[in-house]
Amino acid sequence: MKFLPYVLKHLRRSWVRTLSTIVGMALCIFLICVLQTVLDAIRKTTEAADPSRVVTRHAVSLTFNMPLAYKPRIQGLAGVKRVAVSNWFGGVYRDMKDFFPNFAVESEDYFPMYPEYVVPPADYAAYLADMQGALVGRDVATKYGFKVGDSFQMESFIPPYRVSGPLKFNVRGIYDAPPGRKSSVNVGMMFFHYKYLYESVRGRRGVGSYAGAGTFSIQVSDPARANAVMKAIDTNFENSDVQTKTETEGAFLAGFIALTGNLVGLLNGVGLAVGFTILLVTANTMSMAVRERRTEIAVLKTLGFPSALVMGLILGEAFAIATASGVIGVVMARLAVGNLANLPFMGLLLGNFPALEVSPTVGLLTLSLAVVLGTGAGFVPALGAYRSRITEALRSI
Amino acid sequence: MASVDVRQVRKVYKRDAEEIVVLNGIDLQVPDGEFVALMGPSGSGKTTLLNLVAGIDRATSGSITVGQTNVTSLSEGELARWRSRNVGFIFQFYNLIPVLSAVENVELPLLLTSLSRSQRRERALTALKVVGLADRAKHYPRQLSGGQEQRVAIARAIVTDPSVIVADEPTGDLDAKSAEDILNLLDLLNREFKKTIVMVTHDPRAAGRAHVERHLEKGQLASSIVRREVTA
Ligand SMILES: Nc1ncnc2c1ncn2[C@@H]1O[C@H](COP(=O)(O)OP(=O)(O)O)[C@@H](O)[C@H]1O
Ligand SMILES: [Mg+2]
Repeated sequence: MKFLPYVLKHLRRSWVRTLSTIVGMALCIFLICVLQTVLDAIRKTTEAADPSRVVTRHAVSLTFNMPLAYKPRIQGLAGVKRVAVSNWFGGVYRDMKDFFPNFAVESEDYFPMYPEYVVPPADYAAYLADMQGALVGRDVATKYGFKVGDSFQMESFIPPYRVSGPLKFNVRGIYDAPPGRKSSVNVGMMFFHYKYLYESVRGRRGVGSYAGAGTFSIQVSDPARANAVMKAIDTNFENSDVQTKTETEGAFLAGFIALTGNLVGLLNGVGLAVGFTILLVTANTMSMAVRERRTEIAVLKTLGFPSALVMGLILGEAFAIATASGVIGVVMARLAVGNLANLPFMGLLLGNFPALEVSPTVGLLTLSLAVVLGTGAGFVPALGAYRSRITEALRSI
Repeated sequence: MASVDVRQVRKVYKRDAEEIVVLNGIDLQVPDGEFVALMGPSGSGKTTLLNLVAGIDRATSGSITVGQTNVTSLSEGELARWRSRNVGFIFQFYNLIPVLSAVENVELPLLLTSLSRSQRRERALTALKVVGLADRAKHYPRQLSGGQEQRVAIARAIVTDPSVIVADEPTGDLDAKSAEDILNLLDLLNREFKKTIVMVTHDPRAAGRAHVERHLEKGQLASSIVRREVTA
């Protein structure tokens, strides 16, 4: 510890270099931390998905609807317990920047499949009884001050759903996550009755005078046989006009969040590249420090400083830089991720995650990564200092 | 008793197939409390010899004993430990650590001891007092003149109270007045503090302050020894 002032004074002396290294490295750590948090959220969402639930959608794209007539045909297949139509409404509350995901669902079939959306029974009954009823997540209620009994309007940005103008909704219940599942259940969404959407679209002139089924949420009786059921569903519609694609809920959510399956690979790749950058940045800073201090290192050794101690001092500098950068990067990531959902349009991108935050695991992992990479990068220059010969270093002045 | 005893020392550098014999059979005895000046033309091996005596370089053959210690037999780590306790170094270009203040520079060798923080500070200040720079303790090397820097370096050399001080052209980079101050200081260390001093120098006036002058030429010590009366 008595050598600490020596290490710190060096860092302070070349503060421009120290600072730029720390800023550069902190940015890298920030990036890695945010990326890992997103990956973590994708993983958690996938893991939290109920293995007994599968989702059927249009084989071509999520943006096309399927005929409602498919529902009884799916219902009739062996191993299918429940089927509910669920459409992404794309309703905008007030302004695009206030977006939260909202779905028109066949409530009577849908909510029994989703016990993780917890609503007081009386509120739920009131919701079922109100054609314009809505269930909003706790986060949405908190953010926009919704209380049971409030009314609000929403208009979809999907053209076929706009034909009737904005829809009016009454908040009938606020749903919560069950205790202990806050990080895996998304309480930032809103649900309303599919029949309300269906009625508001039906009979209007123009494109899509009929609201089809965006997706079918399906519960299978035996999760172990989910694969067979999924296959049976898609086979069933193989020769129809509209083919289907059925996935587990986990795969569907992951695909929906990640847009393409490659996002995970891409994020990991970016993380790797950024990690490598850290290595280069610190290695460069530390070799500069060692090179310009050749004589000084020789003087320390002359005074009797053991080579290992000299090496330790260099590593100490790298460690200090790495730790400072790591802490700054992770703290920045925490702040940024916490405020991400409040940024304009981010609700649209991130609304499908349960509340996003840098978990202690991700934070600690990224911090250790910073320390290991940063200190590791100082190793080669430090080894040079360890090996340098006094007489040669002193001669070169 | 000889404080420094160099016997039959050879130092050979190998460059490719070529062998450069820098020191060729050196014998040098420096009694305790002696002040020796090593002179000789540039490239004659003065620095090399001094480095061997101070234990920062190794002889190709021969033996060197300083005090009770045969330094030629020590390992790298043992040598470092030995240097930190027994030898004080003064360089031509002072070699202070620029990011440390005067007192921190002087304190540096004490970091290797088990002294407490306040004891270290106290000793460093005492050493600075000896060289007359107690009022510059907080100054950084770039805020000091060359002569003052060298005096701080001398304080650093004596702070661990070593018995032997080696100085490689300590006045080589200084003006006449500052050089005089430095030589007076070395004289003081020798007379008052009984330090054995081995000083390499080009400057005949500097050499004149030593008790003994030895001349190195082509890797060998000239047999003529200049001795001076020590004025009390
Ligand atoms: N590492 C080395 N490799 C090869 N030759 C060296 C090395 N170090 C010193 N020498 C040679 O040894 C000779 C003596 O050098 P030095 O002791 O520095 O002389 P002085 O201090 O008397 O000027 C010089 O010719 C120098 O070139
Ligand atoms: Mg020399």
